[in-house]
Amino acid sequence: MRLAQLIPAPHRPLARLGLVAGLGLAGLLAGAGSRPVAAVPGTAQPANFPPMVYGLAGNPPDAATFALGRQLFYDARLSADGTVSCGSCHRPAAAFAHAGHRLSPGVGRQLAARNAPALQNLRWRRGFMADGGALGLELQALAPLTDPREMHRPLAAALAQLNADADYRRQFAAIYGPGPIGTAQFLRALAQFTAALTSANSRYDHYVRHEAGGQLTSQEISGLALFQAKCAGCHATDLFTDESYRNNGLDRTFPLDSGRARISLKPGDVGRFKVPSLRNVARTAPYMHDGRFGTLGQVLAHYDHGVQPSRTLDPRLRQPNGRLGIPLSAPERANLLAFLRTLTDRDFLTDRRLLAPAPTAPALPGRLFSVFTPAWLAARN
Amino acid sequence: MKNRFLFTAGLGVLAAAAGLLGGCKKDADSSEPTVGTVALALEHVAGPKAVALNGTTYQTASGETFSINTLEYYISNVVFTKADGSTYAAPGVYHLVDVSKPSTTSLTISNVPVGDYAGVKFVVGVDSTATKADPLSLTGDLNPANNMYWVWNTGHIFMKLEGTVTSAGNKALTAHIGGYRAPYSAIVTAAPAWPSGTTLQVRAGQAPQVHLVANVLSLFDGVTHLPLSTFPTAMQPSATSVQVARNYAAGMFSVKGVQAN
Repeated sequence: MRLAQLIPAPHRPLARLGLVAGLGLAGLLAGAGSRPVAAVPGTAQPANFPPMVYGLAGNPPDAATFALGRQLFYDARLSADGTVSCGSCHRPAAAFAHAGHRLSPGVGRQLAARNAPALQNLRWRRGFMADGGALGLELQALAPLTDPREMHRPLAAALAQLNADADYRRQFAAIYGPGPIGTAQFLRALAQFTAALTSANSRYDHYVRHEAGGQLTSQEISGLALFQAKCAGCHATDLFTDESYRNNGLDRTFPLDSGRARISLKPGDVGRFKVPSLRNVARTAPYMHDGRFGTLGQVLAHYDHGVQPSRTLDPRLRQPNGRLGIPLSAPERANLLAFLRTLTDRDFLTDRRLLAPAPTAPALPGRLFSVFTPAWLAARN
Repeated sequence: MKNRFLFTAGLGVLAAAAGLLGGCKKDADSSEPTVGTVALALEHVAGPKAVALNGTTYQTASGETFSINTLEYYISNVVFTKADGSTYAAPGVYHLVDVSKPSTTSLTISNVPVGDYAGVKFVVGVDSTATKADPLSLTGDLNPANNMYWVWNTGHIFMKLEGTVTSAGNKALTAHIGGYRAPYSAIVTAAPAWPSGTTLQVRAGQAPQVHLVANVLSLFDGVTHLPLSTFPTAMQPSATSVQVARNYAAGMFSVKGVQAN
């Protein structure tokens, strides 16, 4: 029965063979003969991170399921017209945000309601979406899949598509046992990929963990001290977010998007949005839930002199003298920017295991090829 | 796949052992089964007319008219009450009624302890534990693929009525009722009045049926009168959706009779 199907099998030899045959990436399995889990990125607990929220035990990582999740993440055929995958708007080089797009186009070139956020360190997240509406990593994927402005595909239709595909059926069966591909298997497999998106190897991380390559310049250290004094109240811990919802004074009213209040329906939550992580922040432009700021300079200028008053403005943005925002002199801003750039994690941004799977030579003409979203197609627009 | 078979077999052994233990506790001297089956059969009406999803129009108490093209809702947490006030809560019942699928308009509850009952109540919707559940448990009628689920604000839609207000320029009528967070929790229990002198006799080998009538006019009338001409498109938890939920909890269901089989 279903529960039995869902017992993961990290040591199932068939699944491993399937991965080797399917991807032909022997490197992925280097040293995997005894411990396949090592082939899955992002399974270790970084020493400077708080404990995981989405732990390993609930959906134990294994190489075959991770590979399947990766294939699903980059498969544009899951969208209504076959043009949009998760990876269309969440690009590895931008920490899985969408560089240059305030709002990303979905099916039919409609624009999404909010800026595509970076996807990183999701194992440590609690609420999902800018308003916290999605309650878990696995369930979150249903929102962009079904949103008419994004992938516009009812879950039942996406499952029917997977079940109609012999390659997917084979892969799911090798992992979860025979039987139709259901909601749980689909969401669990996809979450093996999204949970793997761990960024913990920036120069800053090496600095705080006293590792090789962890030197910061004096300007960066000044920026770090400033950051701790003026920003870390909200961008807390080495995840650089306290996971709360706050109004950072973007506007005086929020008629189009009330943020957290959309979910809580509490007037006190109007204009509050999830505090985003600042990891790889130099790569995740544009900024804010609506992508209104194109540069980090504009963001810092906003905090210095752009904060707008409203009833729910975060108290941290009201100075004792009644002034709004966080005063930042020009040299302070320069130091902060220098520090923020130390959060760029090139290992993560260029991790080949997280890129779209390369199309393999078709076993049957035209069939296997269509299983994978070729990189040039994934890089649409 | 060997592991899976072993696992399944293990479950079977456990279930059998649990069944034996349960049986021994309750009825040590006899091998007679101590449980029976009850069916709940639902008949959907809008006032005097049967609900049909074919453009038939219905009239509210205040004279407004409307048609229905979708009517779906959950029944869960079914509890049977005996005359002495003791109860049996059937575990694990999450049933999606979809009026377009006749097979869903009745549900069978097994393993009800034998006895004479004089009441039934149930949640119209899904309890908060199940609605927030991990996708592993979102199978069967609770599966988000059934389209009774909000993905951007995690949770099940408890009651979905879609149609047209024909007395108001064919305005779309959309009532998606759900939500489990205060102050807009729409989790409500229906406890329809039990006809006096009627007994639901649960016996092994018998399958009595409780015949329930579900009147959809109650969504917009009852505790709060909600005129259809001004009824807002309800697609998220709100004060209006709580009013609709209280209306259908109080007045939608009535027990027409019990049929012993």
